[in-house]
Amino acid sequence: MTLTESRPEAEAVAAGDDVRPATQSSAPQWTPPTGLARFLSTGDHLTIGQLYVVFSLVLTGLALTLGMLIGIEQADIDGGFGVFSNANEVFQVFGLYRTTLILCGLVPLFLGLATALIPRQLDASSVAFPRAAAAAFWTWLVGAVTHIVATFSYGGLGSIQAGAAREQSVELTVLSLALIGVGLLVGSGVVFTTLVTQRPAGMDLLQMPAFSWSMLVATGVWLFSLPVLLANLVISWVDMRGANALGFGGGGAPFEQVAWAFDAPQVFAWTIPLLGIAAEVFTAAHRSSPKMFEPMAFIVGAFGFFSFGAWAQSFFDSPDPNAVDAHIVTNEVLFTAFALAIALMVAAYGGWLAFNAYSAGQRPQITPQFALVTVSGALLTAAAAAGVLRVAEPALGVLREADDDIWRGFFDAMDDLEASSLVNGMMNLAILGGLLAAVAGLFHWAPRLLGRTLNAPLGFLSVLPLAGGAILVGATDVLSGFFDQPRRPFETAGIGQIDALGFVEALNVIGLIGYIAVLGGLALVALNVARSLMLPASTEADQGEDA
Amino acid sequence: MADIAVGTPLAAPLPRQRTLLVGTVFGTAATLMYFAALLGVYLRERADALSGGGEWIPSGANIQLAPPTVAAWTMLMSVVTMQWAVYSIARDDRTHAIMATALTTLFGLSVVVTTSFQYTEMGLVADESIAAVLIYAISGSHLVMIAIGLVFLLLMAFRALAGQYSSRQTDGFVAASIYWYAVVFVYVVIWTAIFVLK
Repeated sequence: MTLTESRPEAEAVAAGDDVRPATQSSAPQWTPPTGLARFLSTGDHLTIGQLYVVFSLVLTGLALTLGMLIGIEQADIDGGFGVFSNANEVFQVFGLYRTTLILCGLVPLFLGLATALIPRQLDASSVAFPRAAAAAFWTWLVGAVTHIVATFSYGGLGSIQAGAAREQSVELTVLSLALIGVGLLVGSGVVFTTLVTQRPAGMDLLQMPAFSWSMLVATGVWLFSLPVLLANLVISWVDMRGANALGFGGGGAPFEQVAWAFDAPQVFAWTIPLLGIAAEVFTAAHRSSPKMFEPMAFIVGAFGFFSFGAWAQSFFDSPDPNAVDAHIVTNEVLFTAFALAIALMVAAYGGWLAFNAYSAGQRPQITPQFALVTVSGALLTAAAAAGVLRVAEPALGVLREADDDIWRGFFDAMDDLEASSLVNGMMNLAILGGLLAAVAGLFHWAPRLLGRTLNAPLGFLSVLPLAGGAILVGATDVLSGFFDQPRRPFETAGIGQIDALGFVEALNVIGLIGYIAVLGGLALVALNVARSLMLPASTEADQGEDA
Repeated sequence: MADIAVGTPLAAPLPRQRTLLVGTVFGTAATLMYFAALLGVYLRERADALSGGGEWIPSGANIQLAPPTVAAWTMLMSVVTMQWAVYSIARDDRTHAIMATALTTLFGLSVVVTTSFQYTEMGLVADESIAAVLIYAISGSHLVMIAIGLVFLLLMAFRALAGQYSSRQTDGFVAASIYWYAVVFVYVVIWTAIFVLK
């Protein structure tokens, strides 16, 4: 062999040659930071993703604890306040539970999985803007911590009792929620741009893995939703800057401004990645690849389209109930049609999964992640069904315009559902379904995410409380909605309307057990992750989702 | 023993992925959605106030059309200079690109000054009417949007000075121009919805 050119530097070093130029011999060499500094200064997509996952799981645990506190309060509805000292504290925790569970828990959990995994799914070296991804994470984390601290400092998204909240703390709560929104928006932009620009040559959008596709749809929908949330918050904040808040920043208005983010149809938009994770886990369990990908991509896209709910603000309704356009947004045909379309898309997606299971021609390999996505799919289906009941009254309004006496006895039972706890049940079913799917993703991609597989028996042990608890939390709220339990526990005026109070309280106790079970399940998942990290990295780490 | 073929040309690099461009489009779309929400609330509240027979802009306020109209024309002129910058950088005319960017920046700053002047003249107090709250929220947000646009433009101009942009690579300027056109578009909508309709 004849060498006609000098060897590359790395090769020369390997051969033992001293290749350092004389002038650089004394220059200090940069060494990558280790320990805490590594996490604080990282631009590595995998580390950022891991940070998202860890902190969002911790904050999800906090949110579930808040839900548990509300559950304890509701175990004795007519016995006055127990855990909380007044209605405003219930209002604060009620709002914080929603913002923490969704915007500090589920959405960043999905973003973390996406930030860590999507470059690997696309065979890219990193995300599109690594430093923006890091900035998005820290912005979100600072916003989340500030939001929680501000709420507990007599803040919250407004106040329903005069003098029960500090004005500065309320302002800080609003601003910190805006900071959370900015962080999530930037993180979404990074994931979206990565998906559009970092694909290898020859891979079009429909050739991406299902999770990547679902994240493309999700970040697209979040792109249009989060700025509206920010606009709502900015209006509230500007109103608070005056000596007297007029309409957007006074009383409980800041919460009302953002309440659409926790209601149908928007609540489904936060769960879009569930569909992608379910597709990947489900087909992997059947040891096959997704068949009929294009219809699935269409269903996920349509689900995303119909779950966009920033328009469905009661705020856009006319204050005059006799006006021609009164309740044109939240109480009419469009609102009903979107809920029905979401249910239809969920059913179609279930059909696609069934087709893939049938096409695989073999029994699925039962893994913790398979069990979790199966339950999360069931929870999403139940949430979509509850969403249809949620819009029953507007739908009945449309029907009654044609015939006032139509099936009066049957439909009268559905009249008050939109003001009942059924709406909370719908939200809990959808969001906890998303949480289960994210945990399934954690199990499925653990070799890529952590460099280790998670323990399967311990995983199965966590499935039971996670799945059972999520079902209990959601289903009890849905059921008690039929007995007219008010949607908002701080509105004590509605207590007198509850039918079968004792039964509803029993349901609330069961729901409370559900919260405890989900928390226990999450603790087992954390234990599983910690246990895996303490063991040496397995050789399975390179096997990706097959492990 | 066969010789190793060395010195063979490397494979042609893959086409650039236009990451900055896509990221900017994402950010611009989010910004437009933000203003769509603000203006939707504004128009809804205005319609409610007027349908009830009340007044929208408080009678004591003095919202003149001249300053925002001047600002709107200034913004429209900045579209020309922005496109001039993109045109120049695409032809390796860095001097004109920098000059056009500087002019665009100047136009943007003059709109900030005009809006600030109008704030002092309007006599709108934020806690006296819903209209005032919304006008300050919308126009204030637009000032922030202009500030972000100016930082973006200056950043691209400095990078052009450093030789990063040329006819082979115009992404930075094109991205900045997309954002700037959105700034102008939003101002024209604000001008129509707030200052012309009142």
